[in-house]
Amino acid sequence: MELDNIKKLLDAYFEGMTSLEEEKILRDYFTQQTVADALVQYKPIFLGMEVAKQEHSHKALLLPDSKPKVNKAWRYSVAAILVVGLGVGSFYLSQSRYTQEEMEALAAFEQSKNAMMLLSENLNRGTEQLSYVKQFAITKDRIFE
Amino acid sequence: MDKTEFIAIVMPFRDKLYRLARRILVSKDEAEDAVQEVLLKLWNGKMNIENLKNPEAFAITMTKNYCLDRLKSKQASNLKIVHSNYHTSENVEKQIESNDSVALVFRIMDSLPEQQKIVLQLRDVEQFEFSEIAKMLDSNETAVRVALSRARKTVRDAMIKNYNYGIG
Repeated sequence: MELDNIKKLLDAYFEGMTSLEEEKILRDYFTQQTVADALVQYKPIFLGMEVAKQEHSHKALLLPDSKPKVNKAWRYSVAAILVVGLGVGSFYLSQSRYTQEEMEALAAFEQSKNAMMLLSENLNRGTEQLSYVKQFAITKDRIFE
Repeated sequence: MDKTEFIAIVMPFRDKLYRLARRILVSKDEAEDAVQEVLLKLWNGKMNIENLKNPEAFAITMTKNYCLDRLKSKQASNLKIVHSNYHTSENVEKQIESNDSVALVFRIMDSLPEQQKIVLQLRDVEQFEFSEIAKMLDSNETAVRVALSRARKTVRDAMIKNYNYGIG
């Protein structure tokens, strides 16, 4: 009676049609000591599955200390890049704006200075010439007197 | 989530991951490495394991994919590996059990196509429901049943052959 049932279950088992409960019945039957002679060739299959379940991992699980560490490092680096970027950017921007203005002012200053110098030089030269004119007038007056 | 919480979630099914990796990769050391790698990925990953509906099934899928990838790159880079693997697996099995016919079951299991190997492992060793296995393997129940039936029959035929040879 039991044997017939086991045979039926075995057939279903090999067709992949047994439920977990039915497979437990088969496992229990084949892992006990007394298995019918006609079915003894199937015993190693169920024994093997049991043995396979006894295997355990023996290596210790190695995990880095804390999970958020990676994320934090990422955030820090982004923050650092942002700060440096902002610093450099603003420095560069402000610097260039000032120098540009300064350069323009300096150039204008230089230009106007040059212009003034030129003017004053010419003015001086003019007065020098004027003294000749004055001398000429004096000499002319002396001659024609 | 801290380390202890993560380990508390992962520990109950860690050996299942190891056994699956072992079945696919055969080598014990490689299976250990694979489990370590998968759990590290889970730990460092963006997705939080706490938010997963079924962390076990998710980890099993990850392990399966990781091991199959390992196998692919191994076969691509080294053809000799098949031969050397055979020796290590034989040695390891000798340590596990002295029963010759049980050792034969293991050898047959190792020789099955990957998909059948995985299905047999998940059903007959870990006893998952067909619906769970189908989800883990991104397949359907019918395909799982078919693969399982083929795997079981291959093992059965080898056992019958071995048994008859023993008698005769």
